[in-house]
Amino acid sequence: MASDAFSNCHPATNAVFFAGAIGFTVVLQHPLYIAASCVAGATYYLLLKGRRGMGMVLGLIPVFAVLSLVNPLFNTYGQRVLFTVWGNPYTLEALCYGMAIAGMFAAMMLWFGCYSAVLTSDKFICLFGRLIPAISLLLVMVLRMIPNLQRRARQILGARAAIGKGISGAAGTKEKVAGGMRVLSALTDWALEGGIVTGDSMRSRGYGSGKRTSFRLYRMTVQDWALMAAFAALAAATILAGGTEAAYTPTLSIAAPGWGLAAYGLYLLLPSMLHGKETLQWFISISKI
Amino acid sequence: MRRSKAVSLLIFLAAIPATLWLGMRLEGRWYYLTCTLVIIETMLPFFLAFETRKPQARELVLLAVMCALAVASRVVVLIPNFKPTTAIIMLTGIALGPEAGFMTGAIGAFASNFFFGQGPWTPWQMMAYGFGGFLAGIVFHGKKRPKPVLLAVYGFFMILLVVGPLLDCCTLFTTGSRLTWRFAATVFSLGFFYNLKHALACAVTMLLAGKPLLEKLERLVKKYGMMDARKER
Repeated sequence: MASDAFSNCHPATNAVFFAGAIGFTVVLQHPLYIAASCVAGATYYLLLKGRRGMGMVLGLIPVFAVLSLVNPLFNTYGQRVLFTVWGNPYTLEALCYGMAIAGMFAAMMLWFGCYSAVLTSDKFICLFGRLIPAISLLLVMVLRMIPNLQRRARQILGARAAIGKGISGAAGTKEKVAGGMRVLSALTDWALEGGIVTGDSMRSRGYGSGKRTSFRLYRMTVQDWALMAAFAALAAATILAGGTEAAYTPTLSIAAPGWGLAAYGLYLLLPSMLHGKETLQWFISISKI
Repeated sequence: MRRSKAVSLLIFLAAIPATLWLGMRLEGRWYYLTCTLVIIETMLPFFLAFETRKPQARELVLLAVMCALAVASRVVVLIPNFKPTTAIIMLTGIALGPEAGFMTGAIGAFASNFFFGQGPWTPWQMMAYGFGGFLAGIVFHGKKRPKPVLLAVYGFFMILLVVGPLLDCCTLFTTGSRLTWRFAATVFSLGFFYNLKHALACAVTMLLAGKPLLEKLERLVKKYGMMDARKER
């Protein structure tokens, strides 16, 4: 994942891109725009995750099918009735609308998948560390403590097993719950005592006595500014070019797409193109050796 | 202090109505975006108040511990889908106050999504869990310690009627083509069984671990005088 070019950009660039991509995906319901978002989202997701990403992309296909087929059951508007279900018409228009909604849902899931992979917690904190220092610190501590406490919980479970109080897989629900609650109680004590020590230690080292500085790993480069400018220009082009209107019910009316679609596609594909460019450069530099 | 209150008032009186007004005027599927924006705007005053109050180190760590405990507690009971998370958030609200309950729920949900994947559900989860902790604090904080049975009943119905449906709203807004009563009824009734499981887990946790956990937190507050500092200020 570290080899992805867009992931190495400044967090602000990443955040701007995802705000635009997810925002457009949630709102635009023109079929071609949805298709563009799905394709671009899947491309970038697969570039990020490699072969492991296939499961998620393929898993979205049945979700798409179910959502498309179920939606017309609840949306009975439309003129061309295909058949009736429980006395309600199942219309072609509603089916098309259902497919659009399902496509939007799939695209949204893909983009959120990319978002989770690119905008990791350290980047989030880099973005908001100065704006909301206390909450960022809280978040950092929580993110560190979650695996820590899980490890401690397993230690407690192991210790209990060693004195013959272990819970085997065959144990009944009651035993599992009662045992779990004891572990929870022990874990709470351990974590709270540890927390007090941490808090006192922080205070004696001067937490809250001055303005906090923050560590930053990222710097806005020329490439970041160029990307930001490209995102802004392409987003503006998408909005201004029009041709995004599409209504499904009661009658299908879908606007003819113009060059706005090209701008939208380019916007969504920029991270993938950046990835492709870096890979190409890598292979060229290898072949020179 | 005063500035954050002014900003909160501005958000409630201007930003939220403006968002709703704009959302209603636009055609198409703006309702998911509108609702999500309103949810984020509703949460902002809480975060702002927390931030401007400059919390002490002990308080920060205590909250972090409770958030992490709420998230990590899912490995404790070896039954899949048995999550004591909400119960812990509510207990934090009861012992440490509504604001602490809100922060534990909201930050806990946000942090856990860094492990399980952020999605369109993130703001809704933050709101639902934060609100659960906040309400528990409003109802029980500062009073005589409630009986575990009462806590269990409260937790059960709170999840079934408030927290669970709030989480289902996200499904409703992201998967439906047209918001109809029938579709809403279907989504909520499908979610009902999941919420029932969730509510039962919460009730059982409250019943078995409610008293010890509350005792531990109350002892901490009493011994170290935590969370009182801001009352004196």
